Amino acid sequence: MSRRIIVEPRGLAPWWLKLLIPVASVIAALALGALFLMMTGNDWVEVYKKMADTAFGSGRGFAETLVSATPLILTGVAAAIAFKMLVWNIGGEGQLMFGAIAAAGVGIWLGGGTPPIIAITAVVLAGAIGGAFWASLSAVPKVYLGTNEIITTLMLNFIALNLMQYLVLGSFSPWRDPEATQFPQGRPIIDNARIPEFFHRLDWGLFIAIFVAVLAWFVISKTRSGFEYRIVGDSFNTARYAGIRVPKKILGTFLLSGASAGLAGSILVAGILGKMDPRSLDLGLGFTGIIVAALARLNPIAIIPVAILMGALNNAGPALQSIGVPTATVKILQGAILIFAVAGEFLIGNRFRRPRESVEEKPEPAKEASAA
Amino acid sequence: MPDQDQSSATPAVELRNIDKSFYGVFANADVDFSLAKGEVHALLGENGAGKSTLCSVMAGLYRPDSGEMLFDGKPMVFKSPKDAYAAGVGMVYQHFRLVSNLTVAENLALGNPEVGLRLSQGQLEAEAKELGERYDFPVDPSARIWQLSVGQQQRVEILKLLYRDAKILILDEPTAVLTPQEGEALFRAMRMLADEGRSLIFVSHKLQEVKAVSDRVTVLREGRVVGAANTDDAEPRDLARMMVGKDLVLPTRKPNESVGDEVLVIEDLVVEDDRGLDAVDGLSISVRAGEVVGIAGVSGNGQRELAQGIVGLMKVKSGSVRLNGTDVTKKSVLAKIKSGIAYVPQSRLGMGLAPGLTTEDNLALKQYREPPYSNGPLLSAAAFGRRGAELIEEFDVRGVRPGLPIRLLSGGNLQKALIAREVVQDHSVLIARSPTRGLDVGATADVRDHILAERDRGIAVLLISEDLDELLALSDRLVVIYEGRIVGEMPASEATAERLGLLMSGEREDQSA
Repeated sequence: MSRRIIVEPRGLAPWWLKLLIPVASVIAALALGALFLMMTGNDWVEVYKKMADTAFGSGRGFAETLVSATPLILTGVAAAIAFKMLVWNIGGEGQLMFGAIAAAGVGIWLGGGTPPIIAITAVVLAGAIGGAFWASLSAVPKVYLGTNEIITTLMLNFIALNLMQYLVLGSFSPWRDPEATQFPQGRPIIDNARIPEFFHRLDWGLFIAIFVAVLAWFVISKTRSGFEYRIVGDSFNTARYAGIRVPKKILGTFLLSGASAGLAGSILVAGILGKMDPRSLDLGLGFTGIIVAALARLNPIAIIPVAILMGALNNAGPALQSIGVPTATVKILQGAILIFAVAGEFLIGNRFRRPRESVEEKPEPAKEASAA
Repeated sequence: MPDQDQSSATPAVELRNIDKSFYGVFANADVDFSLAKGEVHALLGENGAGKSTLCSVMAGLYRPDSGEMLFDGKPMVFKSPKDAYAAGVGMVYQHFRLVSNLTVAENLALGNPEVGLRLSQGQLEAEAKELGERYDFPVDPSARIWQLSVGQQQRVEILKLLYRDAKILILDEPTAVLTPQEGEALFRAMRMLADEGRSLIFVSHKLQEVKAVSDRVTVLREGRVVGAANTDDAEPRDLARMMVGKDLVLPTRKPNESVGDEVLVIEDLVVEDDRGLDAVDGLSISVRAGEVVGIAGVSGNGQRELAQGIVGLMKVKSGSVRLNGTDVTKKSVLAKIKSGIAYVPQSRLGMGLAPGLTTEDNLALKQYREPPYSNGPLLSAAAFGRRGAELIEEFDVRGVRPGLPIRLLSGGNLQKALIAREVVQDHSVLIARSPTRGLDVGATADVRDHILAERDRGIAVLLISEDLDELLALSDRLVVIYEGRIVGEMPASEATAERLGLLMSGEREDQSA
């Protein structure tokens, strides 16, 4: 006699489940985090209170949360649109950095008298183009030679990081500030290329990021090109059968993914940083974007609130030090959220049920979890 | 060997009343079979006759629902292929079971209980080499599997069995993947193994091969044994008749009176398969408006390449495809869709439909580029909904719910949706591959009606199928292909089981006369 549970694929998951799973993932991660804090001798209530207070407790705090969220929206979109087409672009990190290099380059090269609207547009677009270019180094070999993009995008992350550090820390390139006497710094871009702030340190880059997320959603669900994208993402064979040129579509998606990550770099350079600062651009924003995309179930609109949540965690981290808790606590929470979200994905795709009593016993219960 | 006569009295394998069904469908029913020691025994039958299932039962992969298996006179129950190995039974599957990153020698050692924890690469390779040379089956033991040709990989599979000293070797359609030269070498090795006293089961659809290599032959049809004979005594035409079996139900409907001009004309078409072999090898055929031409043949004789070559999914190496007088050979898939080629592929969810999208989306898969679906670069959600609902109603597609991925529909409803989409677009040619495969009776009838309706409205239909019932029910003219070439042609009303069976098995008509 055994009590068995059958796991079987689910048809259509109800909408509330799709919402419940990410929310439950966050709650479960917080519970796990509380356990960890208790084990390390901290008052978890106090820690969470401190975090909530830092991230949302004041206008200034909330502005900082949104500042942290802005690049995450863009790197999240970058990961989501690529992953949905089974393009494993994990090079958001490098594409962001090369976008920043390109944006800062343009922002330094432009004459100081360039009108703001032109200067900002040029710098922001330079970042998108730079990111797309960096992605193309992986995309073109993937599409035409069949190389594995996971490996190439990952390796290019390190190349972009070292290139960025070399330009500022290791050489006297135009990106390095000649007036910095103590520690090498990035050369500031022209003032007219800076994106204006409107609420504490928060600048209009947030709206560019939100616009990109909404645009991605609109293109995917409302346009012909987006329909083709959905078909390719569902089945390469079917797409070919329907007359869609699959390699071209993959190449285009990969480049747009890179452009979105590159845009994150240029918005940082033209926004809060004002220069290419290697330390401020090496925070793992590309990788956190992957978490954001996964938690948002690759839905561009859902990326916005998820990025704000992740931004809040990033923002709250440093404040924990004042109560003697390591900043890395937020990394644990972010990691735990991802693990719970991915595990929850299984529940969206499958369901558990008891076997019906009348069904005759099969001789080989190979695929059933036995709980005797 | 002096005791040969005495020991060969006990068969190597004896099966009694073997039944095996999958989900209530019989794959083997009441099968009796016996394999003598030292013989090559051919299993002959059409696709789906139950040959592979029977082999898998003997190799321990499936357990029979009922019946008895005796190996060397002893009743045996195999719980897994491991038990079968222990009893000296080994099988070479159609899809090889090799680890492509390991060397030949390592693959031989894999899973062999006699190989201990410590591997001696040198010793393994020496053994592999010695074994290969003994059977005139040379392979480089240090080569990795992915570096080998398909024929060489098959040799490794056979050597794997010999390495374990299997006494009973089951080869499931071994020649399907081989060039003629490789086939000759295989047959020589098979004879050599039989002469050593091993017993071999050889699955094939090809009468010539059966004649060339086997001592005895058993014919299966629809899961049952329909005949067994010594190969030398068996007439090809008798075997063919047994294989195709039952008296064919010839079409009672009238052929279309108003057959029009040639719409699809294919000349000397050559299409390579994935391995770079000419799977379609100089094939010429034409289909007229209002005519259904059925292409019969055992699967793997170029059907896939023919269909995909015509619609542009596979590259045409040489020859031409003309549509209403215009050469479309080199056109893209999209250009061919637009020039009027509709295509119902064999795999519904693998190619014909996007499994994760909704039914409405799938119904628009070929026409979304034009109004009303598209309005410039934007899609009209209203048109998707309205047009989708119309087609779902008209073609009686059941089980559709809003937002439901189409993969959750049943096979019959999937096929109805697919056909609906293909026949409502502007087209003059319909290519259909096994359109009723796996469908229940009701859905089969619906799909057949749709195809005949196409014919009646003047579409040129090319039906490519392995199911003779389907071909006879729908075709006006039957063409048989074998190894990528046309080997015979007849009006459907003149088809006989014997004639089709012989042609499909690669016998030329003049030989059988």
